[in-house]
Amino acid sequence: MTVVEQTGAPKTTPRAGARRRPSPLGSKWTPYLFLAPAALFILVFQAVPLLQEVYLSFTRTRLLNPTKSEWVGLDNFNRIFGDPEFHRTLLITIVYVITCVVVAIGAGLVVALLLNKKFRGRGVARALVTVPWAAPGIAVALIATWMLNAQYGIVNRFLDAVGLGVPGGAILDSSRYALPAVLATTIWQLFPFTSVVLLSALQSVPAELNEAAHMDGAGRWATFRAVTWQVIKPTVGLLALLMTIWSLRRFELIWLMTKGGPVGATETLVIDLYSQAFDSKELGSAAAIGMVGVVISLIVIIGSRLVARAVEKGDVR
Amino acid sequence: MGNQRAYLGLARATCALGLVATLLTGCGSDGGSGDGVTKLTFAASTFGDPGRGPLLTKWLDEFNQSQDKVQVSAAAVPYPTFGQTVLTQMGSGKGPDLVRFDMPEFEAASDAGLVAPLDKLVDASKYDLLKQPDQFMVHDGVRHGIIFEASNYAMFYNADLIPTPPTTYEQFASTAKSLTKGDVFGLAFRQTEAEEAGVWQDIFNYVYGFGGAWSDGKNLTINSPENLKGLQAFKDLYDANVIPRGADAATFRRMFAEGKVGMELNNGGYVTATRGQNAKLNFNVAPIPFPVRKQGAILAPIVVNEASEGKDEAGTFIKWALEPQNQVKLQEILGASSVATTTQRSPETLKATPFLPVFDGLTETSLPQIVLGFEAKTPDIRKVVVQNVVAALQGKTDLKSALDRAQQQATELVR
Repeated sequence: MTVVEQTGAPKTTPRAGARRRPSPLGSKWTPYLFLAPAALFILVFQAVPLLQEVYLSFTRTRLLNPTKSEWVGLDNFNRIFGDPEFHRTLLITIVYVITCVVVAIGAGLVVALLLNKKFRGRGVARALVTVPWAAPGIAVALIATWMLNAQYGIVNRFLDAVGLGVPGGAILDSSRYALPAVLATTIWQLFPFTSVVLLSALQSVPAELNEAAHMDGAGRWATFRAVTWQVIKPTVGLLALLMTIWSLRRFELIWLMTKGGPVGATETLVIDLYSQAFDSKELGSAAAIGMVGVVISLIVIIGSRLVARAVEKGDVR
Repeated sequence: MGNQRAYLGLARATCALGLVATLLTGCGSDGGSGDGVTKLTFAASTFGDPGRGPLLTKWLDEFNQSQDKVQVSAAAVPYPTFGQTVLTQMGSGKGPDLVRFDMPEFEAASDAGLVAPLDKLVDASKYDLLKQPDQFMVHDGVRHGIIFEASNYAMFYNADLIPTPPTTYEQFASTAKSLTKGDVFGLAFRQTEAEEAGVWQDIFNYVYGFGGAWSDGKNLTINSPENLKGLQAFKDLYDANVIPRGADAATFRRMFAEGKVGMELNNGGYVTATRGQNAKLNFNVAPIPFPVRKQGAILAPIVVNEASEGKDEAGTFIKWALEPQNQVKLQEILGASSVATTTQRSPETLKATPFLPVFDGLTETSLPQIVLGFEAKTPDIRKVVVQNVVAALQGKTDLKSALDRAQQQATELVR
C-alpha cells in the first residue's frame, strides 16, 4: 500500500514531513552563479574602461605613445573648462539633446494619437512609421546627406521651388542651417520609436475612463489631460530619460553628416571627444570630456529618479 | 549535494575554458613564419582606389612570385580614416609591417618613434633618388622613409570648355567667372570643414603660389601678408560663386568628369581617376597660374613599422620596389605621379598622356603639404588653420582676424 502511495503521488509534490532533497538550483549561490557571466561582462567591458577613463582624465597621454603617460591632476579639466569653445560645445550639446527629446516625444505623441484612431489602412500606417527607426544610423546619415547635397539634393530643389532655398544650397556647410538639418534628421530617425512606445501606452488607457470623462462633459483637451496623460506619463518620463542619454551619446549621425562643423556648429560632446582623441591625439583631454559626459548622464539619471519618486508621492503633477 | 558539486565543477570548467580561449585569442599573431615564410602586411589607402588598387595588388603579386621567404599582402584602409586607423594601431605597438603614409601622418609617426630607421635596412646611396622629395624622408640624419609616390599639383582644365589655359591669376579668376553658368562651374575646390585635409591641400597652393609660407622654419607665419594675399584670392573665388559650394571632392570630381566643372587644382594621381570616370573626357594640364611657381605635392613615403617583427623582410620588399624595372612598373600604375627614383617615361606612355612632362617639370618647385619646422604638429596646425579659414568663408569673421586667430591658436599648440 505504501508503495502504491509513493509511486502514485505526483513527483512535484513532496510528501509532508519528508526531508527535502537539495536541488542543484536551490543553493544560495545559484543566483550569483547565474549573475556571474553578466557581472563579469559588465566588469570587464564597462567598469574597467570607465575606471581607466577616470585615470586617463588626470593624465597627459598621447595616442601615439599611450604608455608614456604623465599624471597632471586637474589640468585637463582646467583646460577644457577654461576654453570658450568647450562652453560652446556644451551649449550645442544641451540644445541638441533638449530639442531631440522634446520634438521626438512631441512628434511621437501626435503620431501615436493619430495611429490610435480607427481608420482604414491603420495597420499599414503603423508598419510604415517604424521604417526610419529600423534603418541603421549610418544609412540614415547617408540618405540625409544625399538629400541635402548642394548640387543634386532633392531638399534644395524643393526649397528653391518654394522660394526658401539656401544660397548655394550648402545646408550642411552653413553654420546657420547645419544644426537644424542634423536635428531634423535625428528626429526623423527617433520619432518612430517614441510613437510606437507611446502608441502601446495609449492602448492601455481604459476606454471607460475616456467615456466617463465625455459623459461628464469634458472636452478633448481636458480628457487628454485628465485621463490619457495620467496613464502615459510614466512612459513619457522613461522615454525622456532614454532619449536624453541616447542624444548625449549620439555620434555616427552627426559625424557622418558634418563631422562637427562647419566652424563647430554641430560639435557636441562626443564629437569633441573623438576629435581630441583622434585628431589632436590627446587621450587625456578626450577622457576629461568623456567624464563631463558621464557626470551629465548621472545627473540626468538621478534627477529623473527623484522626479519619478516625487510624482509617485503626488508632490508633482 | 553531488549534483551541486557537479554543476559548480561544470561552471568552473566553462569559465576556465573561456579564459584559456580568450587568452589564446588575445595572443594570436597576425603574421608569422610557421612555414618558413615571413608574412607581412602593407597598408595603403591606394589599394582601395578603384583605378590603381587592382594594379598595385598585381605589382605586389610580382614581388611575392619573386620570393620564397617573404610574402606581402595588401591591407586597404580607406583614405579618410587611414592615418587615424594606422597611427592608433602603431601607437599600441601593433599595426601593419609596411605603411604608405601621407606626409602629416608620416611626420607624426616618425616623431613618436613609431617608424623604424631605414639606414640599416636599405642602402639609399645605391639608388638614383629624386632629391627634392627625398630630402623630406630624412630627420636629423636618420632615414625614416622612401618615396613611394610623389605627385605634384597642377591645374587640370576641361579642354572643351577652355581651349587656352589661363597663365595668370587674373585670367584664372576671369575664366572661372565667365564659365560659370547654369549647372556649369568655372572652378572647384574643397571648402568644407568635413574635408579638412583636402581643404588644407587646396589652400596650400594659394598660400605658396602667392609667395607665402606657413612658417619660416622656426616660427609660424600663418598670418603673414603673403598668406593673407593668397587666401584672399581663395576667398574671392569662393565669394564669386564660381565653385559648386558645398560639393565635396567626390561630387565635384564627378562633375569635372561630366564636363560641368572647368578647372581644378589637383595632383598627378587624379589623371588615372579622371580617366576612370570618363575615358573620353578631353582634359589637359598646365602649371598653376599663380604669381609664384611653388605648389604642393603629395609625398607618400613607404615606411617600416618599428613594432614589426619582420623589419629585415620589409627591407627586402623596399629594395625590390626600388629596383629600376619595378620603379618603372610602379610609375605606370601611379600615372602622372613620380616614384622614388628618376625614371624615363616610355614613348607609348607619353603618347597616351602628353602632359606628363608638365608634372615632372614641377618636381623641383613642389613642397610637401606640411609645416616646415613643425612637421609633427602639422595635423594640429592644419585643423586650426582650416577651421579659421572656413569661418572666414562662412562670413563669421574677416579673413585677417581669422588668420590672426589661427596664428595665436597654433602658436599655443606648438609652444
